[in-house]
Amino acid sequence: MWMPLLRAELYKIFKKPRTYLGFGVIAAVTLVIQLAMYANGQSFVDFVLQGIQEQFDVEGNILNGYLVTYIILNLLLAQVPLLVALVAGDALAGEAGAGTLRLLLTRPIGRTRLVLAKFTASSIYAILLLLWLAVIGLGLSLLVFGRGDMLNFTADRLIMLLSDDIFWRYLGAFGFAALALITISTLALFFSAMAANAIGPIVSTMGVIILMTIITNLELPLFQAIKPFLFTTHMVAWKGFFNEPVPYGAMLQSALIMLAYILVLLGATIFVFKRKDIQT
Amino acid sequence: MKLLNKNIPARLFASAPKKTVGTWKTSFLFALLLPLFLLFGFSKANAQQDATALFQTIRQRVAQTKDYVADVRMKVDVAFMNIPLLKGMLYFKAPDKMRLERNGGVSLLPRNSINLNLYNIMAQGSVTVIDGGYESLDGKDVRVIKIVPDAAESDLVLTKAWIDESRLLVLRSESTTRDNGTIRMNLAYGKYAAQSLPDKVVFVLDLKDYKMPKGVTMDYDDGTPADLPLKGKKKKGRIEIQYLNYKINQGLSDAVFQKKE
Repeated sequence: MWMPLLRAELYKIFKKPRTYLGFGVIAAVTLVIQLAMYANGQSFVDFVLQGIQEQFDVEGNILNGYLVTYIILNLLLAQVPLLVALVAGDALAGEAGAGTLRLLLTRPIGRTRLVLAKFTASSIYAILLLLWLAVIGLGLSLLVFGRGDMLNFTADRLIMLLSDDIFWRYLGAFGFAALALITISTLALFFSAMAANAIGPIVSTMGVIILMTIITNLELPLFQAIKPFLFTTHMVAWKGFFNEPVPYGAMLQSALIMLAYILVLLGATIFVFKRKDIQT
Repeated sequence: MKLLNKNIPARLFASAPKKTVGTWKTSFLFALLLPLFLLFGFSKANAQQDATALFQTIRQRVAQTKDYVADVRMKVDVAFMNIPLLKGMLYFKAPDKMRLERNGGVSLLPRNSINLNLYNIMAQGSVTVIDGGYESLDGKDVRVIKIVPDAAESDLVLTKAWIDESRLLVLRSESTTRDNGTIRMNLAYGKYAAQSLPDKVVFVLDLKDYKMPKGVTMDYDDGTPADLPLKGKKKKGRIEIQYLNYKINQGLSDAVFQKKE
């Protein structure tokens, strides 16, 4: 019963045109960044290296596929959650808005199982978005810009990673990003369980992400105490894979906090949806 | 004023009988010390000559290497950098061309500083050599000489070299430059000692702190406390180059040193 339900949910997601909007946006943004890097990447490299090049001669294929992918992920992984919210926010509220939710629940599937199927389908969508980003971002960048050692520029340190020590970091980073997107997906599903049309949950999710991102990025003492508890603080922990040594402790903590968000939000969604008076 | 004029001849007169004894004593002391002064002056001049000769001998040996290709391992220990052990080929061509080739990888060499190899310290233009006596280096007595380039436009202001006289090898050098601070080199020799080519060189150099605005960088704050900001202040960096083998005087072309992006 579970697999047909999941298949049906996936079918519903992929028959909607808005689902492909995410793939299109990712492809467009990635290609624009790659084109910009291809045309003016050297100026970018010279700019970020200027502090180093005063004292060191740096030579070689600095603007390689690994660095370009890292730049793409930095710019894009903050926006992908909005694309995930488009689909997950629609999962339950969309059915309510279309008047199919009541009909759906007349079948002997149970509300918990339906929420879990919607959650799994939304998560699969988020993972597929990331896989698409991996193919078009990492794959195409490596094809166009080639492989090489990666320079990671932080505010007070230059980290150099050897070419044969990078690919596993991307696997880890994409895995971590998947966890972050599933967190967003669960949040959107939670709002979706409370609404009767898709716009509300999508806008609410975007609002929460924007608010939390602003609090995360503002270096104000007022927000320091709450920052560790915001999922937006931990969503960027994928970057830890490109530090040396990899801060596994801090990243595990971030992963556990996001996992806690997923479990709590999923539990809350089931709780709300089970008690919901479904009229459409 | 009058009183003063009166007193002067009186004082001179009063001291006149003692003058004879004083002159004799002075002459005796002078006679006694003159050979010592001459001996000291002669030995000093001799040491100066020795230092210059020693420098010239080492300079000739160093200058015999016109170019080399060496298989190297480079360890960069700089506070604002996290660089793994770099393996590659180091190309050198006299007087000042140097390039690290890393088989397609990114290479990193300190700008100007690394060119302060023995060739540049020893074999460049007219210099004045000053004897610095002897010092103990790692439990061994070594000769110290100071080398001052005569060319006013030289970036190198002064080099102090610690020399193993028995093997005619520079074991340490400390160079003061106009623009690149002070650079110290510690050299260890092995198979290529006859050519004055080291097996290992440790550079200790002055580096400016590196800071980038956070908006430009792609940081991840893992909660580790950051180093105290030392913007503009100089820090010491340490670069260790291990030379595994050399190919000497192969006639390297200048094209090898063309910068590749």
